[in-house]
Amino acid sequence: MRGAPLGGATGAVAGPVIWAAGLALPFALDSSWVSIAAFFAIYAITALSEDVILGRAGMFDMGHAVYFGIGAYVTAILNTTLNVPILLTLPLAMLLAAAAGALLSAPLIRLRGDYLLVATIGFNAIFVLAMQNDPGGITGGSDGITGIGVPSLFGLQLESQSAMFWLDWVVLGAVLLVMRNLDRCEFGRALRYLKQDELAAGTLGVDARAVKTLAFALGAALAGLAGTLFAVQLSTVSPSSFVFTESVTLFAIVIVGGQGSIPGVLLGTALMFVVPQIFRGLAEYRYFVFGIAMVAVMVLRPQGLLPRRRAVT
Amino acid sequence: MSALLELQGVGISFGGLRAVDDLSFSVTEGQIVGLIGPNGAGKTTVFNMITGVYRPKTGRVLWQGREITGAKPARIARLGLRRTFQTIRLFAEMSVFENVRAGCHLAARQHWWEGLLGLPGQRREEAELAARTHEILRRLDLDGVADAPATSLPYGVQRRVELARTLAGQPKLIILDEPAAGLNDAESAALNETIFMIRETGVTILLVEHDMNVVMRVSDHVVVINFGRKIAEGDAAAVRADPAVIEAYLGREDAEEVAA
Amino acid sequence: MGTFIQQVVNGLTVGGIYALIALGYTMVYGVMRLINFAHGDLCILGAFVGLSLLTGAAGSGHPGAALLLLAFVVSIIAIAVAGVVLERIAYRPLRKADRLAAVVSALGASLMIENGIMLVWGPQVHVFPAGLLPATTWHFAGATISFVQVMIILASLVLMAALYAFVNHTRFGTAIRAAAIDQDAARLMGINVNRVITSVFIIGPGLGAIGGLFIGIYYREAYFTMGWTYGLYAFIAAILGGIGNIPGAMLGGVLLGLFNAFAAGYVSSSWQDAITFGLLIAILLVRPSGLLGERVAEKV
Repeated sequence: MRGAPLGGATGAVAGPVIWAAGLALPFALDSSWVSIAAFFAIYAITALSEDVILGRAGMFDMGHAVYFGIGAYVTAILNTTLNVPILLTLPLAMLLAAAAGALLSAPLIRLRGDYLLVATIGFNAIFVLAMQNDPGGITGGSDGITGIGVPSLFGLQLESQSAMFWLDWVVLGAVLLVMRNLDRCEFGRALRYLKQDELAAGTLGVDARAVKTLAFALGAALAGLAGTLFAVQLSTVSPSSFVFTESVTLFAIVIVGGQGSIPGVLLGTALMFVVPQIFRGLAEYRYFVFGIAMVAVMVLRPQGLLPRRRAVT
Repeated sequence: MSALLELQGVGISFGGLRAVDDLSFSVTEGQIVGLIGPNGAGKTTVFNMITGVYRPKTGRVLWQGREITGAKPARIARLGLRRTFQTIRLFAEMSVFENVRAGCHLAARQHWWEGLLGLPGQRREEAELAARTHEILRRLDLDGVADAPATSLPYGVQRRVELARTLAGQPKLIILDEPAAGLNDAESAALNETIFMIRETGVTILLVEHDMNVVMRVSDHVVVINFGRKIAEGDAAAVRADPAVIEAYLGREDAEEVAA
Repeated sequence: MGTFIQQVVNGLTVGGIYALIALGYTMVYGVMRLINFAHGDLCILGAFVGLSLLTGAAGSGHPGAALLLLAFVVSIIAIAVAGVVLERIAYRPLRKADRLAAVVSALGASLMIENGIMLVWGPQVHVFPAGLLPATTWHFAGATISFVQVMIILASLVLMAALYAFVNHTRFGTAIRAAAIDQDAARLMGINVNRVITSVFIIGPGLGAIGGLFIGIYYREAYFTMGWTYGLYAFIAAILGGIGNIPGAMLGGVLLGLFNAFAAGYVSSSWQDAITFGLLIAILLVRPSGLLGERVAEKV
């Protein structure tokens, strides 16, 4: 058995400890860094949601930003036009994103991998164009929607960057718990069976269509959740945050980090989203270096940086 | 005793070739039925038609009297019909335990949200199914290798693992696709014992085999096909003496085995 | 009527360009089952290489046509070399690995090339020099047809015919088709599959460079993100015709060009892109193998 330092009993303890330590970040860092940490949490949730579909269910979703965007826009629209409290928009955002996921995936599930990939690119493009064209005047067009409010919990306004970070970090913790449970439940198992050998899985009674649709809906719901947090963090939403490049980044994070691997996806998120923030001074060279890094990592380590451990009982 | 599985006039073509033609036979509850025939006779195609991998062009497949022709593999599994594969399709990235546990998939009643939230009911079921899996491993003498990666084991052991996975689903009928393929004499003899043991637990068996040492010794009833058509049927002794069967195998190494 | 003819001419021009670029996607996918995401960027790199030559030599007194021809030749060679290098570095090591690794490698290569262009030439829109080609126009049934358009349409036709002849009537062309149907069987028949793959990465990017340079000459501009825009359209064209199918890519390119022209001309141009993507999804749902059917390597 591979002695992965982040797996097994060690991981079961190390994970929560690291997360708990993260809660102390606002006391150690200044506000601009806390903001970066907040974005990390948000993107980590989104990347984990992509992993459900791509890394675990094995479906090539390269248009995942759509669900992230739906969550963000639902919150933005409900909050700015109907004054719905932020936290109340959250379940709606997740539900609508999940519905979109189930609906969009329905006709695509039987398609071969590459075709599914291209179709998701198409959906992403249509979504962005639709938001830009401002149908019904509700999406704010290319400029988007501004002036999104702050969440309030038990009457307390979560206005400061630190408060918002804690909200994001707690939600991330919850999502990590769900992902860990996914690994250990029948649904998660069914995904593993399907990914390794769909034919054999069928003879064991796994209903491929139902399981894949559920995975898509779950991934979309989690992305929608992240979208709400994103809208609040920026207090603005605009179509440019949900373009194809974002979907490509999420896709790359899962593959570079390690499909179906929670530590891998978290590491991938840190590298793809956080590191460029740190090197903002070298902004020009950023994406060029990214590109080289992506090729290099794949050629040298095609299984990803922290691939999924073999057996999770 | 009623027919558990019945084929009526089943046939299929691939391109211009009629692979299986007007095949009819039945499997009664509690029986061990063997389907034999020379290479390319269409045996695996018959299996694939029963288990939903292919859809027959003609004829019907009946399960407990009800038609299941062309039903998808997942539905077939739910009805209590399981199969093994000629090429052993174990999940390569999983241990023996996890592979056999996969056979319990349909027994899991937990809803997806119970799993994601880690509710106590789900935890209990996980423990129960794990216990069930360990029981089967023990019964098939696999508990020593439970944590080993499934595909790292010798071929004979992998066969047993696949069998264990098939049994974990508590099926009514299992279809074994060339279970003795790649086994030596000692392993074949052990396989015979295993097959009898499985029948003791109340499972009906249909097997396709090449190896006469296995199929003639375990089968109550034998169906012989050649070029996709049935050429003989009966108990092992009767089939062995049937001139049509001998002719089908004549000129090949197996002729000596049949005449023996 | 005039508008109709105009749209047809516009559509055929752009369609020819799409076809030239689409061929690169389809040939690579046909043999390797890989979507070469970096292809569009390679094509635009061709435009930039050509641009540098044209602006560098402008005012040196060379007649326009000869200079233009030189620009094409240099561009084709440069991009063909780039294609071969790309395959060696980013794809060949991943032949046995999970397909998704090659996809991400392709995406990384695309980022590299696109941003490499930006770093070398700058992020601004570059203008192609005027007067490269005669500004002659013809008027036909109310439509205006320019020399450039005729040149592009004719050149595309000639190139496509040449490629078709090569693939269908030469030994090496047959080798390419064989490798596209069954790589392992082709290898067993003595076909040097590595050479086939290398050649596909010469022909595809080579034709694509011509397409890219045509874009620059036709629209008189080039900018570093064009690779994605045109690449995606060309890729849709390849799918429309049937991925892996060479005549399919040609047909798909022309049809998509016409579709785009009519969508922009008759429907609103702000929804033009959305309609095109809608078309893509419709194809994938109804007939994913495309108009002429896909022809890809069978992975048993």
